[in-house]
Amino acid sequence: MAATTGASVSINSRLTARASSLKLAALSNQGRSTLSFRLRPQTARLRVSCAAKSETVEKVCQIVKKQLALPNDTAVTGESTFVSLGADSLDTVEIVMGLEEEFGISVEEDSAQSILTVQDAADLIEKLKEKDA
Amino acid sequence: MGASSGPRLSGIQKQVLSLYREFLRVARSKSGEDRHQIESIVSAEFRHNSNEIDCKNFIYIEYLLRRGKKQLEQLKSPDIVGLSYLNVGSSQPKKT
Repeated sequence: MAATTGASVSINSRLTARASSLKLAALSNQGRSTLSFRLRPQTARLRVSCAAKSETVEKVCQIVKKQLALPNDTAVTGESTFVSLGADSLDTVEIVMGLEEEFGISVEEDSAQSILTVQDAADLIEKLKEKDA
Repeated sequence: MGASSGPRLSGIQKQVLSLYREFLRVARSKSGEDRHQIESIVSAEFRHNSNEIDCKNFIYIEYLLRRGKKQLEQLKSPDIVGLSYLNVGSSQPKKT
């Protein structure tokens, strides 16, 4: 695991903070298998330079829960992948549309396809909002 | 495109998802009740087809894509306010 982290850090120094925050998230969230997934350098390359604010992540979680009609006690965190929450590709399209509306943004098709986790979505939203402002 | 970290989607899957997105986008331009109805019909239709149709049945899927695109074009017109669903077959009327 440490080796993987090291590899992605060397690609981009901005990742250092992200990688360590991921570790923390994984520690507080034991048993999640998403960690190795998130640390792939390939995913890392799509990262936005700044981590999304926690309120954005929170809001995205709410919307995802609503769209997938998940019970309230389901744990949805930034690291949750849509697939692990039981979403298929149609659901993912719905989620992205829901997010677009909620945040008043417009997500291009290419970027919509690369959204796999709540965190991905939140990062993209922040990026788009920044562009608008 | 190849660098996408997402699940690898075939061209036809992308087309279907893009059509679905377009439909939802158009639904947004309609008002309140109509919008809900369009959304529920469209989503039920896509979901139904995704479960029913063999993913290798390209000819049929392509037919549905073409049909969907035409319906989408019609729906885009501001004169069209709603969608409705006519169930032919399951409640078959007597042939006259």
